[in-house]
Amino acid sequence: MNEEARLSRWAMTSIVLLRVLIGWHFLYEGVAKLQKPSWSAAGYLLQSRGAFSPLFRWMAADPNVLAVVNPLNMWGLTLIGLGLVLGCFTRTASAAGILIILLFYLCNPPFVGYFYSIPMEGNYLVVNKNLVELGALAVVLTTGSGRVCGLDRIIHRLLRKRARPA
Amino acid sequence: MASDDETGKEPAPAAAPGRRLDRRDLLLGLTTVPALGLFGYAWWRQREYEQVQKASAGGAKKAAANLKEINVALLGAGAQGQVLLDSMLRIPGLRFRAVCDIWTEYNQKRAVNTLRKFKFETNGYEDYREMLDKEKELDAVVIATPDFWHARHTVDCLKAGKHVYCEKEMSNTLEGARSMVLAARETGKLLQIGHQRRSHPRYLHCYEKLLGEAKILGRVVTVNGQWNRAVAPDIGYPERYAIPDARLKQYGFKSMPQFRNWRWYKGLGGGPIVDLGSHQIDIYNWFLDASPSYVMASGGNDYHDPATHEWYDTVMAVYEYETKAGRVRAYYQTQTTNGSQGYFENFMGDQGTLVLSESEANYPGFLYRDPNAPPWDEWVQKGWVSAPKVQEAKPEGEEVALDVRESVSPDLHRVPVVLRDPYHQPHLENFFDTVRGEAKLHCPAEVGYETAVTVLKVNEAIEARQRVAFRPEEFRV
Repeated sequence: MNEEARLSRWAMTSIVLLRVLIGWHFLYEGVAKLQKPSWSAAGYLLQSRGAFSPLFRWMAADPNVLAVVNPLNMWGLTLIGLGLVLGCFTRTASAAGILIILLFYLCNPPFVGYFYSIPMEGNYLVVNKNLVELGALAVVLTTGSGRVCGLDRIIHRLLRKRARPA
Repeated sequence: MASDDETGKEPAPAAAPGRRLDRRDLLLGLTTVPALGLFGYAWWRQREYEQVQKASAGGAKKAAANLKEINVALLGAGAQGQVLLDSMLRIPGLRFRAVCDIWTEYNQKRAVNTLRKFKFETNGYEDYREMLDKEKELDAVVIATPDFWHARHTVDCLKAGKHVYCEKEMSNTLEGARSMVLAARETGKLLQIGHQRRSHPRYLHCYEKLLGEAKILGRVVTVNGQWNRAVAPDIGYPERYAIPDARLKQYGFKSMPQFRNWRWYKGLGGGPIVDLGSHQIDIYNWFLDASPSYVMASGGNDYHDPATHEWYDTVMAVYEYETKAGRVRAYYQTQTTNGSQGYFENFMGDQGTLVLSESEANYPGFLYRDPNAPPWDEWVQKGWVSAPKVQEAKPEGEEVALDVRESVSPDLHRVPVVLRDPYHQPHLENFFDTVRGEAKLHCPAEVGYETAVTVLKVNEAIEARQRVAFRPEEFRV
């Protein structure tokens, strides 16, 4: 905690900015899916290639699994987005974000020698934009910016206050 | 300002145990909330643009209630008649009274049976004159017979007091087409020619909004278009339903194969340039708001058996137009030996390019903004064109060298108008709406005549083997 707080003002401001930008991206992806009544991850999952593709295709093939995966994806993205923008439960949101991005990455890993039917945007030899965002979320996860600049600061304070008399 | 020497100081102290929630905590805690407001605002604006685009793409449908019923007959129930019938069955307020076709054993029976399934008491006729005599209640006749019958059928129907929708080409001869215009004028009845793109919402949008108001292409200098069609076998027929020879001859046909493939025969049809080219060359005239001054053309029967394909299977034509904005050269080709790249019309101005067709699958309206043209943001915001997809100048895949003198690829936009109905439906709706006095014909006889003059001249230019001039008075009756 103290380590985190020792960051310079500019460093912390940058991290908050980074957090808000990533949150914006998640929020957009989530809300956009929620807006489309017929949206389903099935198409994306069926495109899966590579070592983990059986897992993703299994998700797409089973309507019962899909019935869980779809809302989880839509609401997951939206809530993570809200959490990051507002700095609310920042660590949980960051960790969940990392997990979901890791899934996206593994669903269509841009490994050398894989050729896809649909060209993906932003692939730079193994590293793609998903992986870059994942790395950025790791920074957000480990710097606790929500407790400096975000709702976490208020939540934390209230919880501490309640805990004090004990 | 903040600097490294501040490292170590708590920039905004994280919660220390025991301290109360103060104003500073609240301020810092809520710092990023406005970002959410910004997101909401951006989202709302985006939704607004999308809704405007959707609205301009949709085109409101009229209520079917309280429509005055129109009594309709179909004259010519072949392949094209069937297409028109399928479209008409989707239009409310029509009552089908009669079907006339000389192939009573097959086409006529099929159409009558279809209509009976839709609960229409429909009579079948072989002779259109008998139909006109007996069906006194008819308001309108929809004609889809072979081209060489159009003039007689149309003139007689108009003179019998019926409104007429006649398939294009208006006639295979200019004399025939002229008699149709005159009959429409004389009788005061409506005559719509079946250039159905004239009522296609995408074409109307391009003509009225993009070319008319926005002048989005700048100065159009060249046009090109094509209809490439793959080799197709001659159209056959079930032997046991063949029309007896005597009846075929009575109606101007030599044989059953000729009856089925009349489009390829001189004296009956006009060949692919008339069947296919006519639709698109009509758009050249319409969009350029002009009739051509000259045409040169090359064509011939290069592939098919001339015994069964009298008309040219391959035609390439170049028109010259003197438009209000200046000279335009317009190329058109039709060939029947390779279907690659299908059909489209391509208008090229100094600020942009418009490639469109009536198909939703191929060339459903692409717009390329020239990099030097003023931005089209206003048209995107109005929903007249879609948001651009910026083109990558770098070709995908293999390493290739690009010459520095090559023009930068223009941005790709779409014409955001989709037709979900069959292609002919809007044009037929326009006709029936006009019969009810609620609209104006999109392709009246005079317009069809101008197009017939423009297109039939190509065959003349091929035979003359030289540049042929149009006299301005040729386009008028």
